[in-house]
Amino acid sequence: MATAEVTVQRPARTVSERMVGFLTKSPVHLTLILVAFIWLVPTVGLAITSVRVPADITGSSWWSSLLDWRYTLNNYDTVLSRANMDRSFVNSLIITIPSTLLPLTIASLAAYAFSWIRFPFRDTIFLMIVALMVVPIQMALVPLLRLFRDMGIANNYGGIWLAHTGFGLPLGIFLLRNFFITLPRDLIEAARVDGASNLKIFLRVVLPLSVPALASYAIFQFLWVWNDLLMALVFVQNSDLWPMTIRINQIQSQFGIEWHLLSAGAFLLMAVPLIVFFALQRYFVQGLLAGSVK
Amino acid sequence: MRRKRLVSLAAIAVLVLGLGACGGDDGGGTKEGDGEVTIFSLWGGSEEEAFKKVLTQFTQDTGIKTKYEAARDFLPVIRTRLNAGNPPEVGILPRPGFVDELARDDALISLEDLGLDVDKINENYGETWTDLATFEDTTYGVVAKANSKSTVWYKPNSFQQNGFQIPKTWDELNQIVKDYKSKGDVPWAVGAQGRDNSWTLTDWFEQIYVRTAGGDNYDKLFSGELAFNDPTVKEALGEMLKNVNDQYVLGGIDTALSISFQDGIARVFGTTPKAEMYMLGGFVGGIALGANPSLKPGTDIDFFPFPTIKEENGDPLVGSGDVAAAFVNNEDAAKLIEYLSTPAAGKIWVSTGAIVSPNKGVTEADYPNELVNKEAEQVKNAESFRFDGSDLLPGTLGQDFGTLLQKIIKTPGQMDSLLDDYQAEAEKAFS
Amino acid sequence: MSSTAVPGPVGRPRGRRLPTFFARSSWQGFLFIAPAVVFLGLFVVWPLIYTITLSFADTNAKLKIVDWVGLDNYKTLFTDDKEFLDLDAFPPTGAFVNNLKWVVLYTTLSLGLGLLIAVLAARVRYESMIKAVVFIPMAISATAVAIIWKFVYDPDPDIGSLNALITLFGGEAKAWYGRADLVNYALIWAYVWASTGFAMVVLSAALKGISEEVIEAARTDGASEWDIFRRIQLPLLSLPISVVTVWLLINVIKVFDIIYVLTGGGPGGASEVIAFSMYDETFTNGEAGYGAAIAVVMLLLIIPIMAFNIRRFRSERVIT
Repeated sequence: MATAEVTVQRPARTVSERMVGFLTKSPVHLTLILVAFIWLVPTVGLAITSVRVPADITGSSWWSSLLDWRYTLNNYDTVLSRANMDRSFVNSLIITIPSTLLPLTIASLAAYAFSWIRFPFRDTIFLMIVALMVVPIQMALVPLLRLFRDMGIANNYGGIWLAHTGFGLPLGIFLLRNFFITLPRDLIEAARVDGASNLKIFLRVVLPLSVPALASYAIFQFLWVWNDLLMALVFVQNSDLWPMTIRINQIQSQFGIEWHLLSAGAFLLMAVPLIVFFALQRYFVQGLLAGSVK
Repeated sequence: MRRKRLVSLAAIAVLVLGLGACGGDDGGGTKEGDGEVTIFSLWGGSEEEAFKKVLTQFTQDTGIKTKYEAARDFLPVIRTRLNAGNPPEVGILPRPGFVDELARDDALISLEDLGLDVDKINENYGETWTDLATFEDTTYGVVAKANSKSTVWYKPNSFQQNGFQIPKTWDELNQIVKDYKSKGDVPWAVGAQGRDNSWTLTDWFEQIYVRTAGGDNYDKLFSGELAFNDPTVKEALGEMLKNVNDQYVLGGIDTALSISFQDGIARVFGTTPKAEMYMLGGFVGGIALGANPSLKPGTDIDFFPFPTIKEENGDPLVGSGDVAAAFVNNEDAAKLIEYLSTPAAGKIWVSTGAIVSPNKGVTEADYPNELVNKEAEQVKNAESFRFDGSDLLPGTLGQDFGTLLQKIIKTPGQMDSLLDDYQAEAEKAFS
Repeated sequence: MSSTAVPGPVGRPRGRRLPTFFARSSWQGFLFIAPAVVFLGLFVVWPLIYTITLSFADTNAKLKIVDWVGLDNYKTLFTDDKEFLDLDAFPPTGAFVNNLKWVVLYTTLSLGLGLLIAVLAARVRYESMIKAVVFIPMAISATAVAIIWKFVYDPDPDIGSLNALITLFGGEAKAWYGRADLVNYALIWAYVWASTGFAMVVLSAALKGISEEVIEAARTDGASEWDIFRRIQLPLLSLPISVVTVWLLINVIKVFDIIYVLTGGGPGGASEVIAFSMYDETFTNGEAGYGAAIAVVMLLLIIPIMAFNIRRFRSERVIT
């Protein structure tokens, strides 16, 4: 950006000067065009394949189909009905929403305490919780299976909700506490002087002011759970409860590599994250940046 | 401070572990079912549809509803569900080797415990088949379906055009391969990608080995009495490599290792075929017809029995089967297992053209198309029968055998060291 | 009393009594953090301890403990498991070695490309478009990434874009995930493709935080673009670079989805990584104790990385 500004501020340039300017910058443009190519082609190729007639897919390449223009939405229909992706979509929602709201609630309560309530060992406990971010999910798979069995929730969603909540808490607490602590002290102090309880301060003062941070964490956690595969593999046992990430793997092997189904399925899988990305990019990036140690 | 906390946590841990360790199994007696039985297998596609027809009839006959679930990762799902106390009521085990392993750990309910008349059920099958579902003299399940694996799939019209005869010997087959190649055609397609398809290579090996080394050696090899780095094994591998190599396989070994067996079949019998023959079991017919319904059995697609290699070892049939077993002891599961052992179930099942039934009560008339009929004939008239070797191996040895073969076809020069390593692993597994 | 006190500087203030356990603010504090502590204790801490304990045992098909074997699992893992670590082969192979390949290639490529794109994009008008395009893969699941790249790597030039490109230039189509010598690089590149966006976004934000005047001054002093990059921008980026590196390294140790979906560990186990081995041993082979040992190894690898990160943060006064 700085470079562009500098050149603009100079007095009017001649045509040749401008051409020289462009040429010296053309390696930059070329590189970036190459980058855009590499980052777009794979996805675009799959997208086009998902709307092609199955017989065409193995016969001719996807870019040549741009000339034929023979497309169909059948694949999406088939994959939704025959491969049960429609149910899996709903399942993904059922898994993801509580797994986002629950940790959000618990983490914000805890983060508030770590920021604005004094109690013994506060900072030690906080550090220990943050340290738990190191624990990989693999450490919990077998023990939680046993635990969920004893709790009687092994054959429904209870297990995965609890597991995702547990593992989403360290990051949430870290993120939210770091934000809460930047809130103006006077506001909190004033509320306390007015006799407000901690709960009231939390609900009336802190939360409303923290919407960006809460949104960032919520979106980050939502996408994390939506895209998860491993936990679902272990904790969601009955096949009619499977989320999309598992379901799409089944398409992969039962029917060989049927690209017309796999590509459509992949795009259904990507639909929600892409929408979230385009609509709420800012919050997502923030969450990712702050969560750069998840 | 922290240390104290850790110590107390550790103490709690031991306690909790102790508590966790005593989650006993349900004790004896067949319980009442809840009117619905869950069945789990790794079948999808046409196999699933065929099986569901059987289940529908079961529901009609008994009023018990069925819920069918499938997953490609059969073992991991079974293990997690067992561990979580949430196993499916009935499972279709793709390998008899699993019967042994799961029975050993008390995960299966024996037919007796289910309250079934074991002798009556076993009457339906020949001894070879009931052996597969038996562990330490107790029968745990019934053989649900069977397949011949001694089949080589080819295109009759192509053979006719080229003036090829059905090969009866290995040399004749190898000659056809060379002839195809010299005409510019690709003789074989192979699909052996990853963990899901490596077993196709074990099928190749087993067909060859039983014919080069003989039935006795075959039995010894797959029960741990003969070493895997024995010269007979290397001899069979040598014969296999004469065909499964870069020259004669579509796209070379690299492609073979990157496509699934369904893709491989499609490359021979699909709408844009690129190769001429496919070596795999009787179920290829069903898959090929599913992928390309315009195929005419007898003209476009057919199989010939795997040719003899050494005359003295004749023409043994190597086949496979799935075992249906119960994980939960209740009446619904018992009734389903019983139903699957009846000729009636067998008849419905084979009418779909997807399988061959080992059930004695199923006759030729029940088979719907010539290909399956031919396969059933082959199974019935086999002069000797051997079960798919890799499916008999214990633990992960069977899966690893497939991986071993993948490595061997990729780097034949390392055959000796690869076999030595595998033998070391086998010794451990068999002990 | 303490109810009107507001949190002061962190740590114990000298010369003042701590709020006692029974002070009102104290138990309120405990109440607020109670749900979190309970959840974490039950679902993270207890499993952690359980798994560590499990790693010293042997299990049966139902994943129940049958035998205590001490350090045997670890010993076998590092000396006798060719799929995990094979020092006899040259160069060494195994899941552990694969993770090392990932560490080197994935980290440097994601970081390097992220930095390069951040720097270049800053100089053009369509910067936000480029950044969005590169960043999108971060939002989609690793499963989707795996499928996208399985498509690109397909051995058939009519389907696989990469092989199509190669054959266009007269080369031979390769089996990218069918060959043991190529598969890891194929996988690593796919994940780099998905992760570069993160590095790019962090570094881009950091770059913009560098004061323009300093750069201007250097320019008028006659410094070349390269000098500016090396002497001014790079040093100031050292914290963000280490943050990104830490994130990438932890990713490497945990990488699972993309391998499970794209290759299932094949061909012949050539693309297995630690996280995949853990799943395989525990759930396919039924060796939960052995799998637990692998999980512990993962933990032991992550801890130093995180410790370094936290220490870095503290020194830069980013947290507490």
